[in-house]
Amino acid sequence: MTLNAESNMDDHFQKTSSLLSCLSDCPHKTDVEVVSVNAGLGAKKRLCDLGIVPGTKITKTRSGILRGPVQVDVKGSKIVLGRGLAAKVIVKCNNS
Amino acid sequence: MRQRHRKGYVQKHNLEDKPLKGSSQANTINIALAGNPNVGKSVIFNQLTGLSQTIGNWPGKTVERKEGQLEFLGFHFNIVDLPGIYSLSTYSLEEIVSREYIVSEEVDVIINVIDATNLERNLFFTFQLLELEVPVILAINQCDILDKRNRSIDFKRMEEIFKLPVIPCVAIHGKGVHQLLEEAIELSVYHHPHQHYLKKGKRMHEHLSHAHRTQELYTKEWTMHLRPKKSFQFPDLSSLLKFGKEVEGKIEYLISEISQFESYFSQFNYPGRFLAIKLLEDDNVVNSFFKKNESTRYLLNIAEDFRKELEEFHGEDIHTIISSEIYNKIHKIIRLVLISEKKEERKKSLSDKLDQITTHPFWGYVILILILVGTYFFTFEIGNLLGGYLEEVYGMWSVEIYGMYGADPLWVKLLWDGVVGGVFGAIGGVLVYVIPFFLIMEILQDSGYLPRAAFLLDKFMHFLGVHGKTIIPMILGFGCNVPACAGCRIMETRREKKISVALTSLIPCSAVLTVVMGLVGRFLGPIYVGLLFLINFVVIIIFGKVLNKTMPGKCTELIMEMHEYRAPNTKVILKQTWNRSKEFIFKAMPIIIILGIVLELLLMFNLLEPINLFLSPITFILGLPLICGIFLIYGIIRKELTLVLLQDLAQSLGMTLPMLLTPLQMFVFSLVTMLYIPCFATIIIIARETNWKYAIKIALLEVGVAIVIGALVYWGGTFLLSLL
Repeated sequence: MTLNAESNMDDHFQKTSSLLSCLSDCPHKTDVEVVSVNAGLGAKKRLCDLGIVPGTKITKTRSGILRGPVQVDVKGSKIVLGRGLAAKVIVKCNNS
Repeated sequence: MRQRHRKGYVQKHNLEDKPLKGSSQANTINIALAGNPNVGKSVIFNQLTGLSQTIGNWPGKTVERKEGQLEFLGFHFNIVDLPGIYSLSTYSLEEIVSREYIVSEEVDVIINVIDATNLERNLFFTFQLLELEVPVILAINQCDILDKRNRSIDFKRMEEIFKLPVIPCVAIHGKGVHQLLEEAIELSVYHHPHQHYLKKGKRMHEHLSHAHRTQELYTKEWTMHLRPKKSFQFPDLSSLLKFGKEVEGKIEYLISEISQFESYFSQFNYPGRFLAIKLLEDDNVVNSFFKKNESTRYLLNIAEDFRKELEEFHGEDIHTIISSEIYNKIHKIIRLVLISEKKEERKKSLSDKLDQITTHPFWGYVILILILVGTYFFTFEIGNLLGGYLEEVYGMWSVEIYGMYGADPLWVKLLWDGVVGGVFGAIGGVLVYVIPFFLIMEILQDSGYLPRAAFLLDKFMHFLGVHGKTIIPMILGFGCNVPACAGCRIMETRREKKISVALTSLIPCSAVLTVVMGLVGRFLGPIYVGLLFLINFVVIIIFGKVLNKTMPGKCTELIMEMHEYRAPNTKVILKQTWNRSKEFIFKAMPIIIILGIVLELLLMFNLLEPINLFLSPITFILGLPLICGIFLIYGIIRKELTLVLLQDLAQSLGMTLPMLLTPLQMFVFSLVTMLYIPCFATIIIIARETNWKYAIKIALLEVGVAIVIGALVYWGGTFLLSLL
């Protein structure tokens, strides 16, 4: 489920010094870019409406305890996603 | 400035209240307020209509419809507050209802309320509105907050881009609100957007007070009395709305095909371009238009091929492709219109601090529990104080009445014990608890706390087969199950709605609270009250688990916007509290009073016994006195009736409650009242939100559970007591 940094860090990502991870595992308070959303059509649609489309810069700001939901800043609004859905949102973290 | 606007608005309201010549119908302008949730639509609506609103449902749909009227500059305005939505796809019922209403003949002008602090996301909805080619006014709200963040919007630029009126507003202070109406009149009178910025090149503050047109001027120019929307000349926004080459080529092809069937599609009110986009997006409703007509069906196949081609090309689904393109366009617009004066370090506002602490992994839960317990405590203290006082008054008056006329005459029994006693019972036993509860619920709702509770409890709610949002109707359910079950509409799927209504209907509402407090709380003490609640919550958890296991499908994930906290508006809260209480007073009180009289009559003619005898198997299993049977029936109408009428009966028999029931019986009686069936109004709401079969299933299931648990507690309790 989790796209692990080691297993997926191919040449391209090494060059751009960025790595993929899912939103539920990426670090807090860093700008990340949405790469893809691997959820069902309904959830995907709703995320589009809320501004979470590939290419969008988002910031994870909060996660609930005991693998609770994840809160992100998207285009000036705060969106809460269930942990299971956050695990399906693949983001690119810039190391620089 | 602020002051002047409000004053001006009020004066106009009064002075120019005279109707124009011609029929009043012709001067009516129908306005719809549309936009994202929580952007201040309701604030604008309240400013315009002065809280004199009617709340109903959209015909045939379980979506709330808020309507209000006002007179302004001699025109009559009907204003409808559409539900807050993020897009105009057919993802939810709210979106379908809104979309159909926006293109219908019923509405002339749409005011798109936009949150200035969240321009980018809000414009996504605006783009979809523009695709519908209807007269739109952009109301940019909360400009003051944007100011505080050292940012501003170039409204002139924005009007140039959108070629539609753009009005800056601070709705909470009434600023800009009546310009919206003036603009609506201009759109209706001239049938095209009247671009003030472009024509006069005025600066923002001048625009805010742009030449208020007099009634005479409008009357002179008012030549057409047609519905404005039909003849509205929508500005040419093709360069703005155009997609990238790939997508646009496909859409243009579809438009040219659709235009062949113009006469057929005109009945649906949607513009050709919109139909083409939605056909490409595989929109259910639009697809059905094409399916209905034999000769347009081939377009479905073409659209599907196009869709597959695009999806393959981009490696994304069509909705993501189109949304991304729109966001790209918006991003460019934002760079043109949003001016950041300097990179400021945003200071933490009070809202941020509150947000931090109320979602804190430890303090958040402490606060949540404090709020729930505090709410009960507050409700109960105030209720007890007032209720006790009323009881004393009634007792004193009764002594007087009995002293003067005796306690036996028929009219004393009917009028005093039945009617007056019923009124006192309803006010002192119920209303005094209900009103404070509604007040707190309104504050919680208006301040924006509830989504925080959803965030904190999302994980736990998954355990019950639903996601965190269900906690919102469930918390509201502590007040009254009826609006709470209706609130389960916020759940996205049918499965979640079904589980949510079932769980919400098990939440002990304020009526149950009065029974529990009035019986167990009063005679047995708080520990037993706690025990009752514990049993109730265990039942809820088991119910959730069982429904989650038995119902097909899987639990979906939480997607929710977390809005900023805001200071609750006292006027709105008091008004809403009153609205809710009013409903109780006028709907429930008469029932309580009539049933009080019926009870007196039944007692008088010894008719209670056959009914109680009929119910004796149940009362026996539960170990309750036979006399309780009838009250459990009454409780289906309103839960508090079980206790209110039991008290009435005790009074008429010259007994007190502890003489009628043993402590164990009190406990069982309260427990059964808590669990045994949702009240009648709740059952109706459940049926409306789901279906009758499900509502009856839930009701019967709860009766069964109540009898089993009640019997277990009674016989178990009796056994334990015998050991002592």
